Amino acid sequence: MSDNRIEGYARALFEIARAEGNIDTVEAELYQLARAFESSDALRSKLTDDQIPAARRQAIVEDLIGATAANTTVQLVSLVIGSGRGRDLPAIVDKLVRRASSSKHLEVAEVRSAVPLTAEQQSRLAATLTSVTGKQINLKVVVDPSVLGGLVATVGDTVIDGSVRTRLDNVKSRL
Amino acid sequence: MNHISLLAVDPAQSRHWLFPEPAEIIYGGIASLIIFAALWKFAVPAFKKALGARTERIQKELDASANDLSKAQADATQIRQALGDIESEKARLLADAKAQADALLADGRARLTAEIAELEAKADADIAAAASRGSDELRNEIGRLAGVATDRVIASVLDDSTQQALVENFIAKVGASR
Repeated sequence: MSDNRIEGYARALFEIARAEGNIDTVEAELYQLARAFESSDALRSKLTDDQIPAARRQAIVEDLIGATAANTTVQLVSLVIGSGRGRDLPAIVDKLVRRASSSKHLEVAEVRSAVPLTAEQQSRLAATLTSVTGKQINLKVVVDPSVLGGLVATVGDTVIDGSVRTRLDNVKSRL
Repeated sequence: MNHISLLAVDPAQSRHWLFPEPAEIIYGGIASLIIFAALWKFAVPAFKKALGARTERIQKELDASANDLSKAQADATQIRQALGDIESEKARLLADAKAQADALLADGRARLTAEIAELEAKADADIAAAASRGSDELRNEIGRLAGVATDRVIASVLDDSTQQALVENFIAKVGASR
């Protein structure tokens, strides 16, 4: 899908979530869902399979997150999946998150970690990244076992890599 | 009845009944001379002419026969010569064919030898490449397995406290880089 369409969907979803008054919750849930969508081949293939009717794909979404996510989140994901834009869900969500962060004068910082971070760790990490980048940070933590250990923080175009995976890859390449 | 009357001529007559009258002899002789003269003048030349023509025709036929005979003999000679030429041509063609066959055989042998040598060289190269490829694949596989094993070992070593220490270390290092 073209960037204009992705931008259009992101703007529409953002406006709906903001109108519903739960943009922070929706943004966070959509972000987690987008990362799960990226990491799970089975989920991705189910939600992007044109052979499966749209209503069936929307039912899968409701079964998956209907019980835990906000109603607005479920409705927005169903909208994207039902319109056949499932493949672009991560890109749309990323644009939405950036737009939501910009509206609050925040910079999105994606942090990949092998283990979940506590709220206190997230708070300290956000403060540290704010002091390093000079920007207010909207921290998004993604649990990614492939990191093995440590963290990888991405703020805009800046990547701060302190992962065991990268150190191991460096050692392997040297060998 | 007439014959009987002729035989019954009177013997007293002066002239024999079988002899003609003198005048008849004269007239007859003159007429005969005229006839002979006419024959000599007109019939003999025509006869001579016819005889000459016939002689000439026979001569022509003899000449034609002689010509045909000589032509037939020439043809026979030519045919014999041609037969001789055919034999020599046959021998020449056979010799040419044999020479070409020998050349083809020699060329085929040379080409076959070259192809065998090329195939042997290619087979040697393929064997060497396969051995090298197998070695590379083995090396890559060993590297991949070593990587997987390393990941597993490190994942098992990285317990929760180590993970937390790594996170804290990251925060501290990033904070220190201000």
